[in-house]
Amino acid sequence: MTVAVQASGRVERARGRRRITSRTLSGYMFLTPWLIGFIGLTAGPILVSLYLSFTDFDLLQDPNWVGAANYVRIATADPKFLSSMKVTFLFVLFAVPLKLAFALGVAMLLNKGIAGLPVYRALFYLPSLLGASVAIAVLWRQLFAGNGLINQALALVGIQGPSWISNPNYALWTLVVLSIWQFGSPMIIFLAGLRQIPRDLYEAAAIDGAKPWHRFWRITLPLLTPVVFFNAVIQTIEAFKAFTPAFIISEGTGGPIDSTLFYTLYLYQEAFSNFRMGYASALAWVLVVIIALFTAFSFLSARYWVHYDE
Amino acid sequence: MATLITNRRQMLKMGAALGGLAASGLSLPALAQDTRLRMFWWGSKERADRTNKVNKLYEAAHSGVGINGETLGWPDYWPRLATQTAGRNAPDLIQMDYRYIVEYARRGALLAFDDYMPSILKIDDFGKDAIDCGRVDGKLYGVNLGNNSTAWVYDAEAVKQLGLEEPQWDWSWTQWGEWSGRVAQKKPGYWGMQDAGGVEPSLDCWTRQRGKSLYTAEGRLGFDLKDAEDWFGFWQELRKKGAVPPADVQALDKNAPESSMLALGKAAAISTNSNQLVAHQALVKSRLNMTMQPSGGPGAKPGQYLKPSMLWSISARSKVAEEAVRLVNYYVTDPEAGKVLGVERGVPASKALRDVVGPTLDGQNKIALDYIAFITDKVGPLPPSAPKGAGEIAFLQKRVNELISFEQASVADGAKQFFDEANSILDRG
Repeated sequence: MTVAVQASGRVERARGRRRITSRTLSGYMFLTPWLIGFIGLTAGPILVSLYLSFTDFDLLQDPNWVGAANYVRIATADPKFLSSMKVTFLFVLFAVPLKLAFALGVAMLLNKGIAGLPVYRALFYLPSLLGASVAIAVLWRQLFAGNGLINQALALVGIQGPSWISNPNYALWTLVVLSIWQFGSPMIIFLAGLRQIPRDLYEAAAIDGAKPWHRFWRITLPLLTPVVFFNAVIQTIEAFKAFTPAFIISEGTGGPIDSTLFYTLYLYQEAFSNFRMGYASALAWVLVVIIALFTAFSFLSARYWVHYDE
Repeated sequence: MATLITNRRQMLKMGAALGGLAASGLSLPALAQDTRLRMFWWGSKERADRTNKVNKLYEAAHSGVGINGETLGWPDYWPRLATQTAGRNAPDLIQMDYRYIVEYARRGALLAFDDYMPSILKIDDFGKDAIDCGRVDGKLYGVNLGNNSTAWVYDAEAVKQLGLEEPQWDWSWTQWGEWSGRVAQKKPGYWGMQDAGGVEPSLDCWTRQRGKSLYTAEGRLGFDLKDAEDWFGFWQELRKKGAVPPADVQALDKNAPESSMLALGKAAAISTNSNQLVAHQALVKSRLNMTMQPSGGPGAKPGQYLKPSMLWSISARSKVAEEAVRLVNYYVTDPEAGKVLGVERGVPASKALRDVVGPTLDGQNKIALDYIAFITDKVGPLPPSAPKGAGEIAFLQKRVNELISFEQASVADGAKQFFDEANSILDRG
């Protein structure tokens, strides 16, 4: 994968110096449908939302310019901004590392050269395909309800489980577990990464008498850091954007007591329940900035812990 | 991907298939008609079935008219309506709620019916109150689709099996609470009442019984901090006695009939709207009945009032306004339509229609009709439409009740928080 990206990058640079030829023009022509979609459905609305974030737009009346008032309110006078940020950060902080660790663990098990690997790989990947869907969130709600499957299983060993999703102490953690369960896509990427680690390194280490733990710590993990880095960045962004599970499981309320009120859910409520489109747009832009800062920080830190094989 | 389309012939086949798919999605009869109406409402499947049936009847009787109906659940309905209105693409017929009519009418999104009365819209026999509830600033923007009120719906069979008496219309809040506790004693894991501390219509009733209100005509809070403390305190007391469901059981209730304490088999009685008896009955096997909100005791003012369960409004931009008004008139006055609709949207405001529909009703529909007749002389006047932000405050009330029930705030702190945050929501508008 990295090879393909590098190769195409070189081609881009080589072509970039030339003028627009009929060949590149026809390239753009072929891109037109996508470009129209991108400009009309993505870039356009993004710009409009930037404008709206400086207005009091409420869907029904024309927007009035209010300057930075929305941003000032976010920074100084919105307790729900802070509480929803806290929920989202808790989620990112726990869901991302746990999911990556789990994905790596499964990938290493699958990398042992077992028979029927493609079948297992597909099976383990399945939850990720379904993961963001409404159906899975509904399933999750049933599993963790007061009389759901989880508590029925616990009852067999004599434990009376709480009603997980309707208790503010546990509700967020059911969502973290749901996120971990969708470990498929980082797992596939880890698996590809593990395959690229040269066998002879392990053989040499084995001859030197290195224990499995040492082999993992000294060979596997360092050589895997580019893949870890890639997965961490992608999963962090995904976690910040998480919306569907919380929306379905709390039926849009973020409850109980705002314990699953993700930042994105709060943003949605402001926009579509309370009709404060202007304010919601400002909230969205604050999230963009936060994700950008996080990503920038990851890239800056990468030079200290990511080893590229160069 | 690469093998999906390998040559031109396959490409053409794909295209033809896609074209066929698109064509099958169109409703073909639509093409032949001259007047098309778009109709949008919220509600259950039951309501959708009845509404579609009435639309078919209307189409059959008016050749050249076609109606495209669209329906969503309550929480999804309002964002969709607001976005369509913002995009100047609002449906012709809009099912409107008393809570939102002022907002939409003042912003010029709705058509005034006055010019069509009484030439097309013939609703004189509604009586003044049932007409005026659709007026904003003197003009009529909504036509009453049915009267209802709030109520406590209860599982009459379950109560009987437990050997307890059914709750009565003149029971006080305290009597209800004691009854609820007795139910809980008889059957572990089951309670008499739901915890209604987070239910807005019940608080509304409670404040009115004290001679106050949820909101004033000026759109501010109509009650004091002390009232809020008493309210949340009343429910906290019942929770402590184990007379109502504990916090993590009540939190399963997401304000939908499907997740009510009644449907989940956790409580015998829930606070709801009278026209929703039919919807609740569809979810449980045993026979339901209903009665009024608990009474305020001797000397208390009436807590309840009759209100339009919903109204028909017409978009100000409708190009087929006249036909739309005709259809509205059909819904609220025609006997055939009335028989299909029953009291699912509330009890018809037209006396003539009520007289025709009444005898055709069965069990639960009859109860709903009789209930409205029974309470008519026991209710107070309709309060002004709630201010902007009222929906947000209703959510706040539920959250504060959870804060207290999960013991994250005392009654006094919770009430204070409710009062302060509600005021700041109203300030913000």
